[in-house]
Amino acid sequence: MNTLLNEDQRDALQELMNISMGQAANALARLIDAQITLSIPKIVVVSASEFHAIFQSDNYWFTRQSFLGLVKGEVLTLMAKAGTETMGGLLDYPVPLNETSQDELLLELANILAGACLNVFSSQLDLNTKLSMPTIFSEQMRKAESYRWISTLLMEVEFQLEATAFDSRVVICLEGQSVNVLIDKLNQLLED
Amino acid sequence: MPIPVTIADDSMLSRKTIRKALPPDWDIDLTEACNGKEALAAVAAGKADVLFLDLQMPELDGFDVLRELHDHHAKTVVIVISADIQPEAQKKVAMLGAFRFLQKPLHADQLHETLTELGLI
Repeated sequence: MNTLLNEDQRDALQELMNISMGQAANALARLIDAQITLSIPKIVVVSASEFHAIFQSDNYWFTRQSFLGLVKGEVLTLMAKAGTETMGGLLDYPVPLNETSQDELLLELANILAGACLNVFSSQLDLNTKLSMPTIFSEQMRKAESYRWISTLLMEVEFQLEATAFDSRVVICLEGQSVNVLIDKLNQLLED
Repeated sequence: MPIPVTIADDSMLSRKTIRKALPPDWDIDLTEACNGKEALAAVAAGKADVLFLDLQMPELDGFDVLRELHDHHAKTVVIVISADIQPEAQKKVAMLGAFRFLQKPLHADQLHETLTELGLI
């Protein structure tokens, strides 16, 4: 990883993710009338097996959606199981949640957080991405062969709600070829 | 006399974005700071009549800088430029005496409008 991006490119990518995350958190904060704690964006290159390992955690619910455009890849939204009821209540779902309402909540959160993250990120770099609707994680996704890449660039941001167990992460995964496009775009931004 | 202006942001890209958004004919003496400590040092050195301040920074964050300036009744005009744009953050910086809150990504016309409103240009 350390050789893939130089210091300036990494700085730029982190700042673009910061801005994207800020807009996503603002969208959610206004809905639930609370303040979201933001993380420092994590940017790493992972192998297919490391990527696969994300799904092995039993502590999170997952959604997955793909995007097309100048860059291609997937966006995952993870939500800590422990904080699900809290967020459900804040978003006016009847609690305790049943299986259907829990799925709805997950999809709504993915739309709010992942949607804003990817769109703001993409628009800052004119990547013109189109995001598919999120789908709930299925057992099928635990199988490593369902991933198309050998390695991928992961950009992860984390949203937390103070004094609650709510914790959600949005992970943007870029396919190998797209990483080069991203780097070109970053360079343009830096030279500009 | 050029106006002493400081940009405080830990991101190189952000500092550059702000620098490029400044009115080209604005007569200023520009200083850049990479964290809150450097921002306060710039203020102490008289290099920040106007301070463009990021909120999330290492060492000392933007809120800490505002608190410090507030406590010392500094005459620095602070314009916060932040990626965290939640209502709570905006409320907090207003209470700590920042004059304006601008969102990232920063748009040059918004910055010019703000500077005009504040009578700085």
